[in-house]
Amino acid sequence: MASIAAPGLAISVNRSHRRLNSSTKTAGTSATAASLPKLTVQSKLPTFSSSQNPKPSSSNPRDNSNIFSPKQLHNVIKTSAAIGAGLYALSSGVSNILLSGNGGGSSGGIGSGGGGGGGGGGDSFWEKIFSPAAIAGEEESQEWDSHGLPANIVVQLNKLSGFKKYKVSDILFFDRRRGSTVGTEDSFFEMLSLRPSGVYTKAQLQKELETLATSGMFEKVDLDAKTNPDGTIGVTISFLESTWQSADRFRCINVGLMPQSKPIEMDADMTEKEKLEYFNSQEQDYRRRIERSRPCLLPVSVQREILQLLREKGTVSARLLQKIRDKVQQWYHDNGYACAQVVNFGNLNTKEVVCEVVEGDITQMVIQFQDKLGNVCEGNTQYPVVRRELPKQLRQGQVFNIEAGKQALRNINSLALFSNIEVNPRPDEKNEGGIIVEIKLKELEQKSAEVSTEWSIVPGRGGRPTLASIQPGGTVSFEHRNLYGLNRSILGSVTTSNFLNPQDDLAFKLEYVHPYLDGVYNSRNRTLRASCFNSRKLSPVFTGGPGVDEVPPIWVDRAGLKANITENFTRQSKFTYGLVMEEITTRDESSHISARGQRVLPSGGISADGPPTTLSETGIDRMAFLQANITRDNTKFINGTIVGERNVFQVDQGLGIGSKFPFFNRHQLTMTQFIQLKQVEEGAGKAPPPVLVLHGHYGGCVGDLPSYDAFTLGGPYSVRGYNMGEIGAARNIVELAAELRIPVRNTHVYAFAEHGNDLGTSKDVKGNPTEVYRRMGHGSSYGVGVKLGLVRAEYAVDHNSGTGAIFFRFGERF
Amino acid sequence: MASQIIKEWAGIQQFPAATQSKLLELLGKLKQENVSTLTILVMGKGGIGKSSTVNSIIGERAVAVSAFQSETPRPVMVSRSRAGFTLNIIDTPGLVEGGYVNDQALDLIKKFLLNKTIDVLLYVDRLDAYRVDNLDKQIVKAITDSFGKEIWRRGIVVLTHAQLSPPDGLTYDEFTSRRSEALLKIVQMGARIRKPEIQASAVPVVLVENSGRCNKNESDEKILPSGTAWIPNLVQTITDAVLSGSTGILVDQKLIEGPNPNNRGKVLIPFILAFQYFFVVKRIQKWIKNDIARESRPSWA
Repeated sequence: MASIAAPGLAISVNRSHRRLNSSTKTAGTSATAASLPKLTVQSKLPTFSSSQNPKPSSSNPRDNSNIFSPKQLHNVIKTSAAIGAGLYALSSGVSNILLSGNGGGSSGGIGSGGGGGGGGGGDSFWEKIFSPAAIAGEEESQEWDSHGLPANIVVQLNKLSGFKKYKVSDILFFDRRRGSTVGTEDSFFEMLSLRPSGVYTKAQLQKELETLATSGMFEKVDLDAKTNPDGTIGVTISFLESTWQSADRFRCINVGLMPQSKPIEMDADMTEKEKLEYFNSQEQDYRRRIERSRPCLLPVSVQREILQLLREKGTVSARLLQKIRDKVQQWYHDNGYACAQVVNFGNLNTKEVVCEVVEGDITQMVIQFQDKLGNVCEGNTQYPVVRRELPKQLRQGQVFNIEAGKQALRNINSLALFSNIEVNPRPDEKNEGGIIVEIKLKELEQKSAEVSTEWSIVPGRGGRPTLASIQPGGTVSFEHRNLYGLNRSILGSVTTSNFLNPQDDLAFKLEYVHPYLDGVYNSRNRTLRASCFNSRKLSPVFTGGPGVDEVPPIWVDRAGLKANITENFTRQSKFTYGLVMEEITTRDESSHISARGQRVLPSGGISADGPPTTLSETGIDRMAFLQANITRDNTKFINGTIVGERNVFQVDQGLGIGSKFPFFNRHQLTMTQFIQLKQVEEGAGKAPPPVLVLHGHYGGCVGDLPSYDAFTLGGPYSVRGYNMGEIGAARNIVELAAELRIPVRNTHVYAFAEHGNDLGTSKDVKGNPTEVYRRMGHGSSYGVGVKLGLVRAEYAVDHNSGTGAIFFRFGERF
Repeated sequence: MASQIIKEWAGIQQFPAATQSKLLELLGKLKQENVSTLTILVMGKGGIGKSSTVNSIIGERAVAVSAFQSETPRPVMVSRSRAGFTLNIIDTPGLVEGGYVNDQALDLIKKFLLNKTIDVLLYVDRLDAYRVDNLDKQIVKAITDSFGKEIWRRGIVVLTHAQLSPPDGLTYDEFTSRRSEALLKIVQMGARIRKPEIQASAVPVVLVENSGRCNKNESDEKILPSGTAWIPNLVQTITDAVLSGSTGILVDQKLIEGPNPNNRGKVLIPFILAFQYFFVVKRIQKWIKNDIARESRPSWA
């Protein structure tokens, strides 16, 4: 089973350019929760804490320039975003668990990404969640202190005692400009780490205020405490929000991997001219920076929406910028760009808002192997084998996308070479804004062998088992995977029910698989398979029709060699072609080779003059033929129900090599269509659509046709409601089926009608087994059923006899 | 082929004089046409009087008959010669067993007939069975499948137990004609004789009464209720069929086994393969390419 681990990754990148207030310690770093995947990118930008600032939007920025640094306006909002660069770990196992496992991983990632929206004061979403817990751990063990002051007086922050632990009963934001308090749903609240009924010291409150002041959101911000009668204090934060000139343009740029411009400290005693030059050069720098930046992925539609927002609001306020940032980041995160974040807004007060985004460009992709203990080690698997499974979007120079990561995870998992796979984006320390994608792989054991045994004891005469009936049976299998690190493998197994006498029923299989036939660097995906096999099956050709008592069964044993090449076009569509050489032996119930089918005479006797079982009429055929199979499958699952189309065409072309020089062309075409009858919304837990399944199967053979290769009609995968081969065995057949599936709760019920027809070609099979065993050669059935987990329970009426029966079947019909 | 000594046709002696002279006349007619051997195959369901009919024609108890059980487990050929003319009559076991056509019996018959030429087929059924059913058709079909459609050109439908009193409201003639009509229709269907061919080669119907209680006319000939003496009539019909111009059916290995379906169309296989490659495999490959092109890409791709 796959399990998801989310090891913590907390990295804080301080991108502090033009840092004016270096003393600011952002809460973000302190808030890294160890158990969470987290990537914190912070930038500290100049703030507007000076209260003497005139309203920046009031006039020409030039005028303001001598009062305060206008270039500060370019970079306003200090963003601290906590990005969960999802770190997925997947223990190898069943691949379908993989998706759900991934879901868990990604939701964590996106969730933490969304937390980035809470930035502003270095106060991250995660901190919001974890700080109460932290407080609980640190401080709630002790009692808080009463303020010791008369009730209902307003105390300034610096008047509070530095030794007391104050309990905060409530927190209010007071907008001085509007003269009203701000509701708790306001985005400013997200910036605050204080929580009602938390216990804080004066230092903590001061730090909080500092954080707010340096956030760039406010022109002025104060914190007052109001004493309550019960010893707690109410905190009021009064602020003056920063605003800038209205803008009518919006631009979004990708500044990832761009060198940060170095802030030049402004000398206090610069002359006017110097200052002017300084500002000019800064402005030019910024323009150049915009020019050099790469276009961002943000679609025009979202940009237009933001522009709309800008125009509606008129002045650009801190809150508006916050909203824009949230919107931009929301789009990125919704589309899987989990590492993308808005780092800065620039060019304020210039009619244009420039949103600087670090999208998360991949600077490097590292594939790493780990041993069992998690140490980095040298892997056996060759890198190109892994690399070819990675989507293009994970290559260097692309923007990291969590969905591409998930795809990579799935692809690598489908190699079945690794017990643990992690796709892990990590910030590039050497390259600011860059992402290194780390793929950590734990390899599976290359060789494995397995022995399973079973004893069978058969009751003999008198019900008591005899010693001779005790048979040791079992399976021996071995596997050597990933030869040469190129995913080639050899596997073999031997099964018998009696090791003492294995010649009785020995099933063996030896297979060699050689993928990347065209080279591991070639995108063409062809796999060579060579195998040596045997099988034993009951022939449905020698089956009685309705009302015919037992027909003595004929077993068809096949043993041979097979080599084929499979070319995968898509995950489901493929083309396979190869050569099969096999020996077919037909045996009766007691394992004696039988050249002809048997039939029960009306007198009760058995005569062995039924249809010939083999082409050579000796009971043993040898033949070599070419086999090709092309499968086109574009089915997909919509809410758990299969929809799409599947076409399979298979040809066996005899080569005239073998007993009686068999030369034949045996072909079959299967067309199945799953038609969605209603458009439904896709998503987990949503109802699947009703589906109509149309199915047609044509099988035909020209040339030599031994009975074991004749097409049989009837059975759960042919015409339901009949036994295997109950309708007939013919040279050419047609099967038609329709099934209507209606979803009910979390399963579906279905009704079906099927028909099978031998097209009058039963007589073209030597010995006419259809007629000898008194079968109709054609038949229809209809019925209803319900799917119960893996089992289908259905009631089918066979139209030839007109009787119905209930069947339980595993798996799907189509 | 027939290595056994062919007996003299002695039974002809015990026929009434009128019958004898008629038969000799017909044999003479055949000899005139250079027909010196006549092989008659008698087929039909079990217990309807095939063997009795054979005995009646030969004029002696050549084949064992019993009223209550099948006495003919395998085909028997009765050969008699008279004045350089050889008459072979092949009696066969009943073709029906347990409500189905007995393939085994048919196989036996086919093997027995190997390398023989059938001049005339007597398809025997009872006149007093009122209905025809699917089984009759199956039998006719089985015969047709075994020996080919051509055999019906030499086929005669023989209805035994002809001495009967018809059901109420029907005259004897009406009954016989209706019965033979119904049976002929089945024969035509079973033999897959197409409509235009029916006109050209109508299968004749002959009535037969093998019972010793058979009515006789003044010259001691066995006669039917309609008054015709049936033995000369039957031989006459046989002679007509032989002289009608068609050829007898030579039963050889090929006819018994039927055309080998495994050999049919073998020469076309290379073309079929080419067709499959260019029009099926290529087509599906094109579909797959379209699928790949149409595949909805995720937003990030």
